[in-house]
Amino acid sequence: MAPSGTVADPPPSSATDSFNSGATAENDIRPFFVLHKASSGNLQAKSTGTVKSKRRIESPSPSKFAKKSEPESVEEEDNDYFSTLRLKVFDTVWSKIEKTIENVLRDSNSKVFSGIHDWIRESFESIRSSGALSLSEAVRSYPVLTQASSKQLFTALVLTRNLEMVDDLLTFEELHLRLKSQGCHVAKLSSMDFSAKNGVGGCLRGLLRQFVMPTIDVADVTILASWYRENKNHENPVVIIVDDTERCCGSVLSDLILILSEWAIKVPIFIIMGVSTAHDAPRKILSMNALQRLCASKFTLSSPAERMDAVLEAVFLKPCSGFTVSHKVALFMRSYFLCQDGTLTSFVRTLKIACLQHFSLEPLSIMLEHFCQDDSNQLSDEGTGLLTEATMKHAFDLPSVTRNKITRSTYEMLPQFLLDLQRMPNPWSIVVLCIYEAGKFDKLRLLDIFCETLDPEARYLKYFSPSATVNSQSHISGRNSVIRQLLRKLRDLSPSQLSSLLKSWEKLTAEFSEINDKVMELHPFMRSVEAAGQRQGLPSSPKKHASRSHSKLEKELKAMTDKVAAVIEFMLREYMKPVESVPFNEILCFKNVDKLQSALLGDPRGRIQSDLLESHSILHCMCCSQRGTTTLLPSMHDTSILYTLAQEHADVINLHDWYQSFKTILVPRSSKAKPKSKTASKSKKRKDRCEEPPEPPAEALVQARFCRAVMELQIAGLIRMPSKRRPDFVQRVAFGS
Amino acid sequence: MPPREDSSKVARRSTRFSSSSAAVENPEPNESHPPTIDDLTFGGESFPLDALLSDFPGRRSQILDLIRLMGPLDSPTLPVIVYGDASTGKTSLVLQVLRHLNRPFVYSSCRACYNPRVLFESILNQLLLHSKSSSNGYSSAKRCDKPSDFVNLLRQSLGNVMETLDSRSNGKPVGKMVYLVVDHLDLIKEWDKGAVILQFLFNLYSLLKMPQLGVILISGLPPDVYYSNMGYTDPIPLYFPEYSEDDLRQIFLKNQTNRKLYSAFLDVVLRPFSRVTRRVDELSTTFSSLFRKYCEPLDDLGVSPNEDLKRRLYSHLKPLLAPCLNEIFRVSSRSHDDERRQKKASYSSENREEVGVLDFHMSTSAKFLLIAAFLASRNPATLDASMFDSTGGMDNRKRKRKASEKSMEKKEIAEQEAVMKGPGSFPLERLLAIFQCIASVGDTSFGEEEEEEEGEATGYDREKTNLMSDILLQVSSLCDANLIIKSGSCPLEGTSRYRSMVSEDLALKVGKSLSFPLAKYLYRR
Amino acid sequence: MGKENPAEKSLNLIRGRLCDPTFVFRPLSSSSESNYSKLKFIVSNSITEGCNNSILLLGPRGSGKSAVLDLVVSDTLEEYPDSVSVIKLNGLLHSDDNCAFKEIARQLCMEHHLLFSKMASFDENSQFIIAMLRECGLAHKTIIFVLDEFDMFAQGKQRLLYSLLDAMQSVTSQAVVIGISSRLDADQLLEKRVRSRFSHRKILFLPPSREEIESLLEHLFSLPADSSFPIGYISQFSEKIKSITSDTRFKDMLRTFLNANSTVNSLVKFIFRAVSFMNMESGLLSLENFKAALSSMQRQPKLEAIRDCSVLELYLLVCMRRLEVKEQSSYNFISVMKEYKTIHDSFQTSDYYAQNVCLRAFEHLREREVISYAETRGQTQTGEYRPMKLLISASELHQGMRSHACCPAILVKLLDH
Repeated sequence: MAPSGTVADPPPSSATDSFNSGATAENDIRPFFVLHKASSGNLQAKSTGTVKSKRRIESPSPSKFAKKSEPESVEEEDNDYFSTLRLKVFDTVWSKIEKTIENVLRDSNSKVFSGIHDWIRESFESIRSSGALSLSEAVRSYPVLTQASSKQLFTALVLTRNLEMVDDLLTFEELHLRLKSQGCHVAKLSSMDFSAKNGVGGCLRGLLRQFVMPTIDVADVTILASWYRENKNHENPVVIIVDDTERCCGSVLSDLILILSEWAIKVPIFIIMGVSTAHDAPRKILSMNALQRLCASKFTLSSPAERMDAVLEAVFLKPCSGFTVSHKVALFMRSYFLCQDGTLTSFVRTLKIACLQHFSLEPLSIMLEHFCQDDSNQLSDEGTGLLTEATMKHAFDLPSVTRNKITRSTYEMLPQFLLDLQRMPNPWSIVVLCIYEAGKFDKLRLLDIFCETLDPEARYLKYFSPSATVNSQSHISGRNSVIRQLLRKLRDLSPSQLSSLLKSWEKLTAEFSEINDKVMELHPFMRSVEAAGQRQGLPSSPKKHASRSHSKLEKELKAMTDKVAAVIEFMLREYMKPVESVPFNEILCFKNVDKLQSALLGDPRGRIQSDLLESHSILHCMCCSQRGTTTLLPSMHDTSILYTLAQEHADVINLHDWYQSFKTILVPRSSKAKPKSKTASKSKKRKDRCEEPPEPPAEALVQARFCRAVMELQIAGLIRMPSKRRPDFVQRVAFGS
Repeated sequence: MPPREDSSKVARRSTRFSSSSAAVENPEPNESHPPTIDDLTFGGESFPLDALLSDFPGRRSQILDLIRLMGPLDSPTLPVIVYGDASTGKTSLVLQVLRHLNRPFVYSSCRACYNPRVLFESILNQLLLHSKSSSNGYSSAKRCDKPSDFVNLLRQSLGNVMETLDSRSNGKPVGKMVYLVVDHLDLIKEWDKGAVILQFLFNLYSLLKMPQLGVILISGLPPDVYYSNMGYTDPIPLYFPEYSEDDLRQIFLKNQTNRKLYSAFLDVVLRPFSRVTRRVDELSTTFSSLFRKYCEPLDDLGVSPNEDLKRRLYSHLKPLLAPCLNEIFRVSSRSHDDERRQKKASYSSENREEVGVLDFHMSTSAKFLLIAAFLASRNPATLDASMFDSTGGMDNRKRKRKASEKSMEKKEIAEQEAVMKGPGSFPLERLLAIFQCIASVGDTSFGEEEEEEEGEATGYDREKTNLMSDILLQVSSLCDANLIIKSGSCPLEGTSRYRSMVSEDLALKVGKSLSFPLAKYLYRR
Repeated sequence: MGKENPAEKSLNLIRGRLCDPTFVFRPLSSSSESNYSKLKFIVSNSITEGCNNSILLLGPRGSGKSAVLDLVVSDTLEEYPDSVSVIKLNGLLHSDDNCAFKEIARQLCMEHHLLFSKMASFDENSQFIIAMLRECGLAHKTIIFVLDEFDMFAQGKQRLLYSLLDAMQSVTSQAVVIGISSRLDADQLLEKRVRSRFSHRKILFLPPSREEIESLLEHLFSLPADSSFPIGYISQFSEKIKSITSDTRFKDMLRTFLNANSTVNSLVKFIFRAVSFMNMESGLLSLENFKAALSSMQRQPKLEAIRDCSVLELYLLVCMRRLEVKEQSSYNFISVMKEYKTIHDSFQTSDYYAQNVCLRAFEHLREREVISYAETRGQTQTGEYRPMKLLISASELHQGMRSHACCPAILVKLLDH
């Protein structure tokens, strides 16, 4: 099926994403908002509507036909039967991937959440222990005079260490539910509630709406107090979550803090602030008085890079769904994550788009269904049963197949291929995980390792000839190969680190005997090293070795690290064959970077401008399309005419000249210059009536059209209205391709 | 200032609490015991004068003054304004005096009551013995937002209260007066039409012409800042000066379990810290954390320290003092594996380890954008052409020499007005132009720092072509993070200008993380 | 309650007198040329004549305008109990016409036992008032409108004043409009259409003369002989009072006080303060009470503010002062910090703190209004870049620092040059 429809259905992640930007639209970034949505893949179809849909339809269909272009014609119903089937398979696969990702993220947060909850419990108990208040004391308007230091407000700064908010909206939503389920009264305020316009009354109202009741006549903190004393509310703490502190209006937030701190004894309130930049961000925002009312403690969420690694591991390396991506695609996704926006949300979206396109482009991708459920034996017959003549033909035209000289004759061993295609990733992923384990001491990212190990023509393999390992340090070309770096760093691991590394390897390679044996062989050496370490007594770190070269342990350790390096190289040499080097890998592996990119980064501004420049190619009106694209015709759309004219000016355009040239386009010289000739030769006139307007439009009409066109250009954000200083000049908004 | 009571009294009161709160425990909703006239008085056991005086060290004269001004039982009084610096014990002292005299009173703080309506209604609610609850939909007794209505309602409700006070026979005599305490008066100045409300409150006594109402205003500012064009008959002032050093010592020594140890501690900290600030709340937060540190070497906290123990503790505490003096906002880190995370936060590369890593994730284009904004705010716009030509700011040096050639006092003036101006503002175009320049310059370093060779081919040059949409997105998210602030309405209109709020070291940090030669582009005056 | 000692009783009595302005001003209004008698005359003959009238009572705040007016009104109410009704408005409360009309209608309804509807619209209220005016005029009943804070009514569109005075133009109505204002130019604020309808009769309230004050004093302090005071106590008390008032030092104190603020109310406040210092054992006033009162009334808030400053805050103030001396046109926190640093570099002071601590001190100074932002609406910059200014003079700073508890000597030196 055509990707246009599929792209148009919003991935859940990008739904929240666009919600987020919708929220920020309050902070006056509506234009960004448009672009934001546009860039987020799902709405670009809307932003440049006609363009997209057309281009979609024409682009994928020929490729699909190209695959099916055979001497004998394919029957259609079969074709769309398969397309619907593929869509079903996509749903199963993607739902599986999505579920895995959700679980991973939940696990990554759970520790911090429980920490927050414990903190709340402890502090709440400490408050309650300082003496319960009688009801009349708790609701009366003046402060309680018996507790000392009663004005401290317990505050948790949750560092979401990412500039973007998108990922963390979900996080705080989870936190909200988590705390609620544990019995706290939770309210969630966003920066919308802290607007300077509504003042502190606004956010108090927001609080009461969530705690007490929706309709409050006048928001007043005493209401909160009396509510808190009612039926058993006062046995649980009150928690307020402010998820984006940086965006709040500082004065209002400070006011709220001051008010609440006055009542801190009567209503024990805990504030949870999401801080996306440094942990001293509150100091920049809040007033000094409010600041010293806070008794702050900070909690740190896992950084996006760490989450990313966790997701990668779960989706691609652990058996999840057979779907993988090629080296180039992985690199693209990585650079998109690093360079463009570092949100996990966008990464997941990319993944989804990739997956979708894979299923829409690759007929054989049906088989992924069987990779999902892992019983493999019934794949052989049923999977082949699915294969019609056409798809079989296509299967054996796959480049990987032809590369490996597998011919149609070996048809019956196709199941065999599929089988080891299915079990293929396991040793590879195990190796990758082992390397990741080793890299953890060096703080290597799994993302890097993943991208490098996916490389089909594995450059790093050739360094592992025993000759190369000797002078591997002096190797230059491998400088930024992560694995070489890792091998270098391996040399200075402390024994303790080594032993822990071995243990983790044992666990990883448990069900894969070949590597496991190798790992097991290392243990005696390890023991001897540790023994040497104990004999030497003092905790042995590489530095100490460097300082005074202790012979025995030194030697032991050296030998040990060599062994470990050898094992790694063994793994790499034997089992490191990336997906792309395997026959039939196209079934699993999505390779088409360009499609992914064009689907992901719709560059709406650039597209608007380019489309304005050749409008006729989009609206296939016959009047101007058969003419050359260069000449401007009155029959073209006014806006595109104006924009084309604007190209000739610098970044400021004199409105008068602009109008004049526009008019000359609309009212052709010929009609004004030599009317008699026109009247004379009626035949010629009739001939090109189809192209020229029957009579030149009136001045007023031209002006009206001019104004409307300029307005449209302004709305599209391409020009800027005249300023006070230069009333007769519009300015081109200069950025954009 | 939160009042501190000696432990015995706390114990006594807490027993009273437990008894009364035992009544609360069984979940009957609010309205089952409606507030009576006694809730206007403090209630509880009598509160002798000496206890009051011992509660507030260094406040003897103020306490006596206030008691004198309020006079004996039901003797009318002129309005009083209690003023003094923040956390000098104004509020709690006034309340405790009322408790000591056992007079009925009404308290409203303009902090919690953030606009006239809330203020008026809270006063009326207390006078009418009305308590908000779910049964009455948390609504006030009377709806009132105009001073004129307020005066009428106040007269009525005061009348009611007087009747009930007269009829009331049992219990201690509370007299036939009600005191109206309005706290945080200075906040009203910030309200809209605050001046009118202030004049209204100052004239309330003469407007009502009811000698049964005693007005006590509590303000952080001296009364003469409230003078306006029309003025008023100002109330009798009562001034609370800042605590002297030994007042502070006594305050902090109260309800300490081990007074000797704590006084030893105070000998160390009080003098230096009281030079910075003498506000009790700020000091108390600092001291509570410091004292914990101070006691760390001790095994039992009951010891009375002798000289060398004091010396040991001092030497233990000494290194902590200076940082504590220069810190205003302490964040205690609770998550155990925090610092490990902090290290792992930085993206893996060698040149990242030694510099201070920035502990939050930014995408590379956002980093470049940040630097661009910093440069745009920092450098004069006239320099951009020369900075970002093909030679990438090479003739920057020459310009610097020219700057040094400038005569001294001109430089002085320029510098001073630069300081006055702060970070400059810039339009979006300039930002993007600079961004594209430095992105293309930092490109090379950028490539081998982030990508493998072939990654470079696929990765960056491609997404540089269609950077725009995402760049505007990045600008917006930078704005959200307060790293850039923007003024004006719509960025596509000409009106909006941006200004970078980034401190120089953060910018340098980011530049390091990109291995971008930021210093080369900074225009040093 | 019955068995309270005479001291407390007398104290209560005197405090009650002090807090009751009508009592205070009763003696001042005895003489024939006093404002009381002028006002009384005007009001009563406009009642008897049954004509309209309008007067302005002008005088500084606390000179007893409204007190005298209250006396007059109460007395006229006694004289003509059924032919006078009084409507009291206050500019502070009813400055906007809508609620002013509503208030008038409310009071009229109360007066004549009609029921008053809150929902009534502006027009309905004004209709009602005009009607009532006519009715009262026909019934030969005078309505006295008392407009306190008259100048506040003169702000805005003055619809209230116009409609009142306009209604009074008709012969049928009879009403007296008495405006009270502390602005001597109150009638200049009126629009032409209003001023033309206003009779410019003004009564000025001047500070009390010496003998008025003396009469006032002994009027205040005379204990009633009939009441339950023990005779000895009364004589003792009055003796003491006499001795005090005749004392020259007391006279000097009184003079110094009256030089500062001469109105009756401030004097009353001074006496109140003194009385509140009364010794409860003896139950007698003493000269010391008055001394203490005087000292407590004479305050210098700026000096107090400076004495409250911590050392660091003093440093900042001195830096700002030095910047002003250097004729820097304007300065903000950053430039102050630079000055602070240069001071530290040149003198190696012990108090050199981090920027954020200084910023906190800066905020404290600002909320104490020792310093403030130079212009109010420059919100574009963040706080530390906005230009600042000192709100205290150099001499105040000098005095304050000299009287400061622990001000380093170096600072005073730094301030001098």
